[in-house]
Amino acid sequence: MIHQFKLNGYNIVLDVCSGSVHVVDDVTYDLIEGFETSGKDELIDKLASNYKDIDRDELTEIYESVEGLKEQGKLFTEDTFEPKATVLKAKTNGVVKALCLHIAHTCNLNCEYCFASQGKYHGDRAVMSFEVGKRALDFLIENSGSRRNLEVDFFGGEPLMNFDVVKQLVAYARSVEKEKGKNFRFTLTTNGVLIDDDVIEFANKEMSNVVLSLDGRKEIHDHYRVDYNGKGSWEKIVPKFQKLVNAREGKNYYMRGTFTHRNPDFLEDIKTMLDLGFTELSMEPVVCGESDPARLTEEDKEIVMKQYEDLAKLMIEKDREGKPFTFYHYMLDLKGGPCIYKRISGCGAGTEYMAVTPWGDLYPCHQFVGDEKFLLGNIFDGVKNDNIREEFFKCNVYTREECKNCWARLYCSGGCFANAYHATGSVNGIYEYGCDLFRKRMECALMLAIDREFNQDGNSAQ
Amino acid sequence: MEHIKTVETRNLCESAKNGGCGECQTSCQSACKTSCGIANQKCENENK
Repeated sequence: MIHQFKLNGYNIVLDVCSGSVHVVDDVTYDLIEGFETSGKDELIDKLASNYKDIDRDELTEIYESVEGLKEQGKLFTEDTFEPKATVLKAKTNGVVKALCLHIAHTCNLNCEYCFASQGKYHGDRAVMSFEVGKRALDFLIENSGSRRNLEVDFFGGEPLMNFDVVKQLVAYARSVEKEKGKNFRFTLTTNGVLIDDDVIEFANKEMSNVVLSLDGRKEIHDHYRVDYNGKGSWEKIVPKFQKLVNAREGKNYYMRGTFTHRNPDFLEDIKTMLDLGFTELSMEPVVCGESDPARLTEEDKEIVMKQYEDLAKLMIEKDREGKPFTFYHYMLDLKGGPCIYKRISGCGAGTEYMAVTPWGDLYPCHQFVGDEKFLLGNIFDGVKNDNIREEFFKCNVYTREECKNCWARLYCSGGCFANAYHATGSVNGIYEYGCDLFRKRMECALMLAIDREFNQDGNSAQ
Repeated sequence: MEHIKTVETRNLCESAKNGGCGECQTSCQSACKTSCGIANQKCENENK
């Protein structure tokens, strides 16, 4: 399977299964388009009448180059990966490598669009005790097999509302990781309200990544991200985020915004983040119910698609100015990147990745927390719900018919289980709206990677 | 005139040979939390 598209002056041909990427001129683009459906002579005749300045000998040469690429496995490569789809999961069966610790099911902001219902996940307010957190870390160590790098995300709600426990848990992990042959990588996701010098020092020492929630423009951010008196949080948090990021000295962080029906023109919010001095950016479409006014509409989709293209162009412009920035979804390492096993195995929720509630229950991921049907077990007794575990275990890029025919399947590995479930009632479904946005993002990411390859030798913000 | 420029990429078919070590990051852990993309992740295989 190939996917070909034109964007920003580039004619791009992606050979889906080999991962090869070609940039071609117009005649070659048309030739490749007809290569599998027309015979050689028929195709050359057709191209000769459309491209009068190119003689038949040259057209034949181009045809033979395309044939050559096919023989080399760089065009029209068959998908032979399906038997491998269960290999990685089977090999690592029972191995857990990442936990999302719901350190606080409570929040000091009251954001209407929150997928976690203001941090409470449709339940009561709660915070995780050190004992539960410690047991969760032990559970991770015990179940991580030979895997060395273990990921733990301090999530909520707002994790800084239980900061002492965060600090104690990190200290505990550091005290045992060497002897257990592990390396903990911590991430903190925060709304910023409680950031102070102590948090900054701690986060910059211990967190491999911090995810800072900022929606961009003040009026956009302050519409949803308000305190319990309805007051916007932008003024309060932006200086704190700036201070934290300035002190981070190159360590990973992301400004992570959500865009909704109020701001499908989210590029303006990205520009605000840039103006504020941030360069590592992530902007995500809102996840919410059908009746929610924040929900993105079909009309919004066209605007959003255009924003993604304009964002890629802005990145090229900034590259040229020597002021590159990163957009999370456009980070595409064509020379490296994940192996084929990773690309077809699915996201890992419910198998290698789980979320832990403040009282120690295990769910397939943070987005399923609070939905009792998906309760997997707990950190004390382990995974007990084999049906749910099996459902997630079996899920991969080939279990969805729609994915089999999608050119972007090796870039999303089948999409988000939670989005699929909320859109269709099944984790084996697909969230079409999200797929459309994803495909557009990948086209833009490919175009940007090509531009960087040809013009700037892999420029990046960090 | 050059008709085709091929960008250097990781060969996905070849990646099957030494792939599947499982050391890479879990997909949605780092920044998005609400969608799934694996293309932007780093390969952490030390024996590739």
